[in-house]
Amino acid sequence: MTDNQTPADLDIRAAKLSILGRLSLVWIVPILALAVSLGVAWQNYQDRGTSIEISFENASGITTETVIKYRDVTVGEVENVEFAEGLGEVIVTARIDKEIWPYLDDDAEFWVVRPNVSLRGITGLDTVLGGVYIEGNWDTTADVAQYQFTGLESPSLTLADQEGIQIVLRATDGSSLSKGAPILHKGIKVGYLEAPQLSYDGREVRATAFIEAPHDARITTATRFWDTSGFSVSVGATGLSLDVDSIASLIEGGIAFDTVVSGGLPISGGKDVFDIYDNEESARNSLFVNPDRELLELGMFFSENVSGLSEGSEVYFRGLQIGEVKDLAATVLVESGAQTVQLRTSVLIEPARLGMGNDATADDALALLSELVTQGLRARLISGGLLTRNLIVELYEVENAERRTIDTTTDTVPIIPTTASEISDVAATAENMLARIESLPIEDLMSGAIDLMDSIEIIARSEGLQSAPDELLAILTDVRTLVASEAIQGVPADIDAIISQIDGAISNVNVITEQAFEADVVGQITSAIAAAERTIENLDAATGNLPEILAQIETLAAKTNALDIDGLVNQTTATLASIDALIGDDATVALPSTVNDALNEVRGLVSDFRTGGSADNLNAALASASEAAKAVETAVFDLPALSRQASTLLMNIDTALIGLPTIMAELEALTTKANGVEIEALVVQTTQTLDAIETLVANEDTAALPASLSAALDEMRAVIGEIRDGGAINNANEALNSANEAARAIERAAATLPALTQRANQLAAQTAAILDSYGERSRFNAETLSTLRDIQSAADAVTSLARTIQRNPSSLLTGR
Amino acid sequence: MTAREAGLVACQNCGQVHEGDMQQCTRCGGYLYSRGPDSLQKVWALLAAGIIAFIPANTYVMLKTNTLVEHSESTIIGGVVELLHHGSYGIAIIVFVASIIIPLSKFMAIAYLAISVQRRSVLNMHQRHKLYDVVEFIGRWSMIDVFVVAILSALVQLDSVASINPGIAAVSFALSVIFTMLSAQSFDARLIWDADRTQS
Repeated sequence: MTDNQTPADLDIRAAKLSILGRLSLVWIVPILALAVSLGVAWQNYQDRGTSIEISFENASGITTETVIKYRDVTVGEVENVEFAEGLGEVIVTARIDKEIWPYLDDDAEFWVVRPNVSLRGITGLDTVLGGVYIEGNWDTTADVAQYQFTGLESPSLTLADQEGIQIVLRATDGSSLSKGAPILHKGIKVGYLEAPQLSYDGREVRATAFIEAPHDARITTATRFWDTSGFSVSVGATGLSLDVDSIASLIEGGIAFDTVVSGGLPISGGKDVFDIYDNEESARNSLFVNPDRELLELGMFFSENVSGLSEGSEVYFRGLQIGEVKDLAATVLVESGAQTVQLRTSVLIEPARLGMGNDATADDALALLSELVTQGLRARLISGGLLTRNLIVELYEVENAERRTIDTTTDTVPIIPTTASEISDVAATAENMLARIESLPIEDLMSGAIDLMDSIEIIARSEGLQSAPDELLAILTDVRTLVASEAIQGVPADIDAIISQIDGAISNVNVITEQAFEADVVGQITSAIAAAERTIENLDAATGNLPEILAQIETLAAKTNALDIDGLVNQTTATLASIDALIGDDATVALPSTVNDALNEVRGLVSDFRTGGSADNLNAALASASEAAKAVETAVFDLPALSRQASTLLMNIDTALIGLPTIMAELEALTTKANGVEIEALVVQTTQTLDAIETLVANEDTAALPASLSAALDEMRAVIGEIRDGGAINNANEALNSANEAARAIERAAATLPALTQRANQLAAQTAAILDSYGERSRFNAETLSTLRDIQSAADAVTSLARTIQRNPSSLLTGR
Repeated sequence: MTAREAGLVACQNCGQVHEGDMQQCTRCGGYLYSRGPDSLQKVWALLAAGIIAFIPANTYVMLKTNTLVEHSESTIIGGVVELLHHGSYGIAIIVFVASIIIPLSKFMAIAYLAISVQRRSVLNMHQRHKLYDVVEFIGRWSMIDVFVVAILSALVQLDSVASINPGIAAVSFALSVIFTMLSAQSFDARLIWDADRTQS
């Protein structure tokens, strides 16, 4: 570069004057950036939700990150958690999406979702990992939106827009109600209970229940709810029945309902109130009764023992239940200045059941009953059943009763007069009988028998008796002479003749019996049999109390067992020894000769008999016998009654047999005792006695007996000849006729036997059926088996779940 | 004596020196100008854009972290505070310096340089040039935050177990850095010396 070189002229342009002209386009960039930033900020501000406040008693797990979800979609987020003034509550401030907020009217509810494990399943499991969140529930109609809400402590079960109806169930006892308990209709879950709450006055428990659509249409004013929690066991003639609903309802309780009659009005849908009955039966019974019915309370004083009467016992009027016993309480009565305590039975009468219509008031019912009481209506106790000792109260119309009125002045409730009770207690009667048998002086009897044996022993030892064999021998000799006589020899021919006559007589009898047949006898017997059958039926029912009777018998057996058998045996042994001595005595050996003498006497007597008019007397005697036979015949007509009694006895025995094992045990004990007795000594004694008898027989006098006997028979033959000559045969014929008729009667009586047998068969069949019902295919077994199967399948499900988790733990995380 | 006083102009692209009245480079065809046209305006405009973008970068969410148990969103300052709470002071300082100190310093440095060209400065020209060099050099490292977010977002996408996503602040921060860099580039360092010359 050289110094003389002049620089080239630069093209220097003049500054532009306009400010706008001088501005570079690059300024657009910051302006755009500003615009975008402002835009984003504005949008963010716009998107920011509406701030609401929810108050919780317990805000465990809620942080500023906690989201608020509606149907599992996040609609807001907690901004702040702080205490309310006074630290009583936790105020959660949250932002709710602007679009959602208008729906948050006064039906909106919030609760904190936490993991919950219950019998119905596990819920909120996602909150274990993801932390709790607040769930909201509100309906889909926008109303006046709120800013402040009160959070629920536990989840609301009913989503606000769920189809269905809400009703209120009330019960006197809330032990069977729990939150979430299912409501069943024909075994299908159609709804659930919200948490039960005690009513303000503390008298009942109320629970809001939700019935899902479309089952809510089933609820009418005629619908009744009852408690199905737990299980019920009933024993009846058909066997044992075990009813178990779902396992959940077993533990948590459950409510079932049904609409039994048509004609119920649709309910308003505004939380109608329904009662919960204890069981299905009472629920169905209550169908015609307005739950808010007015009841008439009546008091009554029974002179009898009221054990068997209890709270809830029925009150009947002409066979219809009109109320129930409210309570049994002692009350102090002032009668003529003296205070007495009496048991007052209070009953509640439903006017509607007296046929007075649903609108009848208690006063109307009282007026009606007052009128009836003046006409003879009285309260009395009657048995609730043949077999049970339950008592029920009956309003009974006594004929020609003295005029009395309902006493409304003495007590706080009107007092209705009472009359004698009619309590047919089969068991008590049987027990009384057994008690009497038991109190019989059996020990005295035994000691009396022992005394008697002692006396016999003394007699047997007496000398007079010991000479008896000789006399006997003489008698036999006479008899032998008698038999050898011609008259006796001719007897067989005579008998032939008699038999032919009897033949003729029997044909006569046939005619007579046919006449009798045509007569009313058969009808009488038939009715008698019918009566017997009724009796048998009654007895059939009555035998239920037999176990008690058997117990009595057992006591009796035990008592018998304790008797002094040993002493008796000793006495018998001694007696036998005495007899032995007696027979061994010389005097006894001489007895035949004495007998011989006696026979001589007899022979003389027989001779006298023959000569005298004794045969005629015999005829007369036979006529009497014939009459007696007739009497027997008529008596036979009573046989049906007899057989009825016999069958009764059989029935009793039949049932009594059930108690046999214990009795057998008793008998066994008895036998054991008997075993211990000194039988051997007895046998020895008996042997000696027999030896003595042998000696006796070997005696010469005894050998002479046949001769005497043949003489005696001769005499008898003569007597029989006499008899033949007299009218004895005809009399015998008549007697046989009577006997024949008697036989017929017996035949008729026997005809009732098949019916008897049938009864026995039925009884046996019934017993068998009851026993069978516990068998393999019974309902009891089936129910139990199916329950077990359910439990098993539940266990299987849990096992497979566990296995799945074990194999694929990540499924818990990924949600698959 | 400067090139401008000598009536010469150098091509900004290829460095070819031309006569002062030449409009176009004879070698590469680029436009020739002795000083960047509207240089200061560009600097100011882009600086303003950078500052504007820096505001949402700090107020909005930088990092959205979703894990099984937690869902968290953190801003830059929030992240720094969190790191401090966890005791990671070193990383906290790095993040704080890279994300807050450096961008702010750059804003101030560029603004100072731009002002100093128009007015008097306490620093001499050599110091200011050095400052400019530093700003230019450091500009490329200002994206470290964005890199971290980008890498984390790309790496941690484990479905529902854990995932990290960038927030609006990440974009804003990136824009802020870009604008700042452009602003720094728009500054014609020769203006520093021009001012000096007019002085003396």
